Amino acid sequence: MFFSPKAQENLWKEIENSLTSEFVEEFLQALLNLMKIMFVINHEYRENIKKFDGRYQFCSEDGKVTMAAVFSDGRMKVLEKMIDHPHITITFRDGQTLLNFMISPRQDILGSMLRHDVRTKGNLNYLYKFGYMAKKLQLMMPQP
Amino acid sequence: MTNITLDNITLKDYTLENLPRLKELRSLSFARRTEICIERARFVTRYLLYHDNPADSAEVRQAKKTRHFLHRKRPVFHDRNLLAGSTTSKALGAPLFPEFFALTLWPELDTVNDRKKNIQKLEPEDAQELNLKIFPYWMDKNVLELTRERFNDPECLSLFESLVFFIAAKAGCISHAVPAYVPMLEHGLSGLMAMAAEQEEALANEESREAKEKADFYKAVQISLQGIMDYAGHLAEEAEFLAQVTDDPEVRKECSEMAQVCRLVPAEPATTFREAVNAIWICQVGIHAENINMAMSPGRLDQILYPYYQRDIEAGRLDIGRAIELIGCLWLKIADNVTMVPEASEEMFGGAGTVPAITLGGVDENGEDAVNDLTYIMLRVTELLGIRDPNVNARYDYENNSPEYCRRVSEVILNTKSVPAFFNDKANITTLQGQGETIEHARDYAVIGCVELASSGRDYPASSSIMMNLVAPLEMALFRGKRPITGDEQIGPETPDPADLNSFEEFWEVFKTQLDWLIEKAIELNEYMGAVHQEMMPSPLLSAFFEGPMEKGKDLIFGGARYNSSGATHIGFADVVDSLNAIEQAVFVDRKYGFAELLEMVKNDFKGEEGEKMRLYLKNRAPKYGTEAPIARKNAANVVRHLFELYQSHTNYRGGPYRPSYWTMTNHAGLGGITGALPNGRKARQVFSSGMTPVSGAAPELTACLNAVAELGGEYVPGCWALNIKYTPEDDQQQMSQRFAQTIEAYFRAGGQQVQFNIMTYEMLLDAKKHPGKYPELMVRVSGYSAYFKDLNEMMKDELITRTQYNLTNGMAVPFPEEGGK
Repeated sequence: MFFSPKAQENLWKEIENSLTSEFVEEFLQALLNLMKIMFVINHEYRENIKKFDGRYQFCSEDGKVTMAAVFSDGRMKVLEKMIDHPHITITFRDGQTLLNFMISPRQDILGSMLRHDVRTKGNLNYLYKFGYMAKKLQLMMPQP
Repeated sequence: MTNITLDNITLKDYTLENLPRLKELRSLSFARRTEICIERARFVTRYLLYHDNPADSAEVRQAKKTRHFLHRKRPVFHDRNLLAGSTTSKALGAPLFPEFFALTLWPELDTVNDRKKNIQKLEPEDAQELNLKIFPYWMDKNVLELTRERFNDPECLSLFESLVFFIAAKAGCISHAVPAYVPMLEHGLSGLMAMAAEQEEALANEESREAKEKADFYKAVQISLQGIMDYAGHLAEEAEFLAQVTDDPEVRKECSEMAQVCRLVPAEPATTFREAVNAIWICQVGIHAENINMAMSPGRLDQILYPYYQRDIEAGRLDIGRAIELIGCLWLKIADNVTMVPEASEEMFGGAGTVPAITLGGVDENGEDAVNDLTYIMLRVTELLGIRDPNVNARYDYENNSPEYCRRVSEVILNTKSVPAFFNDKANITTLQGQGETIEHARDYAVIGCVELASSGRDYPASSSIMMNLVAPLEMALFRGKRPITGDEQIGPETPDPADLNSFEEFWEVFKTQLDWLIEKAIELNEYMGAVHQEMMPSPLLSAFFEGPMEKGKDLIFGGARYNSSGATHIGFADVVDSLNAIEQAVFVDRKYGFAELLEMVKNDFKGEEGEKMRLYLKNRAPKYGTEAPIARKNAANVVRHLFELYQSHTNYRGGPYRPSYWTMTNHAGLGGITGALPNGRKARQVFSSGMTPVSGAAPELTACLNAVAELGGEYVPGCWALNIKYTPEDDQQQMSQRFAQTIEAYFRAGGQQVQFNIMTYEMLLDAKKHPGKYPELMVRVSGYSAYFKDLNEMMKDELITRTQYNLTNGMAVPFPEEGGK
């Protein structure tokens, strides 16, 4: 698989646009897809999932969004469905809360949980690892 | 018989100007930035990956892990401190304990160096090692995740993880202990090891499982203590090396002396004051290799070190200046570490130190005045340094300690504006006796962490096991088992709609139903986590410094200590009591408002004209805790008694009772900031009151306030409380310290257990918030511990600013300045 610099640039744009979008699925999808692509093209970033098995379920409170990220054998799959036996399920109130929770420059995991904007079920350490990978992605974003 | 030989107990002639070493070290301590230290995380992870033998007992595995780390721990000398040893490899280090919450740092490994508040520096290569090697190993293995796995993700764990009901502190630590250092000083670690070896040998031919477990424990003790001796040996080697390579004769002399000290102690009995001080410090470092740095409290150092001080003074080997210098060095060493705090927690709960408590004064085991020259030396050091840690506390027995001592402690508080805290010997000894402690043991109590009480080296109280948000069950009582913050989810039992109740007594029963349900859940989780600690985090090293484990052949975590208990502290006490008062008075006595009407307004945060009218009525007309109002006194007493009876009816996994207490660290600010309006007229998102302190502005008269709190003391608060009082500073300090001491005595005679102060005005704190650069060293009492004002989050700063300020001259609350006030 090859992603041209132009294709990569478009993906970053998509993420950037989705940061201001009201539609959570757009942001989440863009984030997970970009993450998946960066694991393919960036060797250093791929190190994060080399020996990592992790199953993440993302849901919105209204039930409109169900996405999953599955890490296995050094690869990442993005699925638009409920998965079995997730290590952690993250249920969020709306797009902005997920954004604050995951990737905002002022990432606020505890605050989001305290305000019950986001609820989790399962092993929080998987969430912290995902938070690191999402933040790393953000730091890799080309600066204007 | 008095132990005071000092000409002047204030020791005013000893200043930082004529103690240049302390001056330099103090200034360094303020200049230093926290660095995250991964040394322990690295070595314990490597040990578990490559050397651990699961066939060993839990205690032996833990001992080998600890020794592996201590043997490899880098001996470093960061400055001209006279004591060898450091808790981390950094000058001011935040160690990582992956067994607990270290992985919360994961999301910010790349950004922690640049965060806005309380930066904790992390080397890029350390971040890389944490991300790829250390954290992955622990993903399924920390206390929290093992509890989830072993107990099938229980409901009580979900309640904890939602963070708004209670905090199960065992996910982050047990620590919170006062070791007994006297046997170590008298016998040396070699002596303690020999005793353990003898016990192990005596059990060698016994076949029973119990004998095998005991033998394993004694073996684990020896392995752990050997780790401390390895580390001391490496410190000696490094000091010798530094002595060889330096060109500075003074440094050479200091390093050679430190090497000599470390060659002798803590392996062998201490013979001098300096050796005793350094032996205690090296053992503190050793204890921190096994147990996380949270409230690991050295205890009554003025008592423990006094024989060494007295002997050296009499022999002419020591003078007061040198003793002050050594104690100052110890205070600064104790402050060489902080907790690792992720950014999000920093925002909500930040600013806390590690709260290692030192306890001074009071009475001895025979009930006689225990204040000695060293007590005053330690008070002087506390006054001179004005640093956050250690958390210094002064015990006071108004019948046996001298008025001069009380006045001197008061003077130190006025000079530092905040430390030490005052503890009432009469009330606290009584409360510990109520917990089954002998009078001699109760008299030898020391403070742990914030305010908790423990017989020194005999009592393993796990004193922060549960931090219960009392507002949660109140809201659940108001909303039939639901809370506004958790929406439509049924949390507690579905209790009757308060609007259908006919009396306050019926509402009290509803409140108790929700409260009891939540406390049962918190206790259930504490028991689960206790079982996990027994498997993965026994404490054979700490056990060696306790009375009980060595005799019983049993680790502290299995109930080895002489006294065992679990502590439960409470957040939002005053707000809950005032809400109960408001409901009783406004709904059932005055019948001013119906319950349904009240609930509607509370839900809507008292919005609108009618809402504000009701809010002002509730705030200004309902009885308030901290006054003489009979309803308020009754409800406060009922809450305290009910909690006491409920907790005491449970026995923990170590065979001891649960002890309620009332201190809140900064949780009252964090939890208040996310909670809706309350029936006492508190608007949504305002901070709760701290510890046992009445709501800000609710108690206008100082004497009534102190009496209202004091009458709750004694038997029913075995974990103690934090009462925060703010006084206006006065020009005539001598007169103020006199009045200050008299007020303390009156409060203690009425039964008050503890009190701590901030000697500052609303205006000064407002200015400090506005211009933090003007107040870089401003230290404040939060709720049981000290913090630098500049490090606290905005909500906590506001809480400190708005705390009721009393004028000690007329005993009345000072009005809060109008907007635009200086």
